[in-house]
Amino acid sequence: MEITIYHYLSVGLFVFLAGLIGSVLVKNVIKVLISIEFMLLGVNINFVAFASFCDNIAFDGYILALFYTGIGAVELAVAIYIFYLMYQKKQSDNIESYGDL
Amino acid sequence: MIDNPVIFYSASFLILLFVLMTLLAKNIIYSLLSSVVVFFLGALFFYVLGSEYNAIIQAAIYGLAVPVIIGVSIMFRQEEAGGEKKSAKFAIPYLTLMCAGIFVLAFIYLVMMSVAMVPDTFCIKELEQVNSFDNISVFARGIFVNYVWAFELVSVLLTIVIAGLSLFRKKGA
Repeated sequence: MEITIYHYLSVGLFVFLAGLIGSVLVKNVIKVLISIEFMLLGVNINFVAFASFCDNIAFDGYILALFYTGIGAVELAVAIYIFYLMYQKKQSDNIESYGDL
Repeated sequence: MIDNPVIFYSASFLILLFVLMTLLAKNIIYSLLSSVVVFFLGALFFYVLGSEYNAIIQAAIYGLAVPVIIGVSIMFRQEEAGGEKKSAKFAIPYLTLMCAGIFVLAFIYLVMMSVAMVPDTFCIKELEQVNSFDNISVFARGIFVNYVWAFELVSVLLTIVIAGLSLFRKKGA
């Protein structure tokens, strides 16, 4: 059975949806950050799949996935830092405690 | 590109399983470990799709560096919840150091791209082959020729983030 682009898009879609649902429903701040990274991973899988199947010359999807990886890691580092600074005041990792940023 | 249904379906099943485990696990450490597996499986997908460089970056940054800073933040959080304020004094500098490690990793891979950019990179007569080390020149051409303004914008953004974090820390102290 041949693996087509739709198979990879399905996996990317599931990972993205799982991240979206997790970032909305989960109460733990760290799990929310991990869920956001799952969303980025789903988007990256789609980018690379499109570049591999549809773009055999320039591979623009690879470059975009690379940008997303760098920006996502920096965003997570900054978010973790802000979370830790706020945790010192709130003493809670429940996201409902962080309404007043 | 590796067109193997066994690899694809087994990796898909595992990534779905570990994504659900990450979201549903009650212990945050199990959740973090499951997310590491998900990130490595994402790198496997990149490799299967023919983008080895993306796979290496994914495994290095998301598989190794990001879980370490999340783990460190969990560790400090649990220590503070246990009432040990002593270690919290060193927590912020240590966490700053770990976050700086992420920036260093990002810097290293940008330097790698610069080193990989040889004069032949600008020769666009030949088509690049996927599944070969020519991917490096494809990336270099994409970043330094086709998307050079986006690259510069990202560099400025990273610089602003570093400056903002240091100011934020100084203000907090």
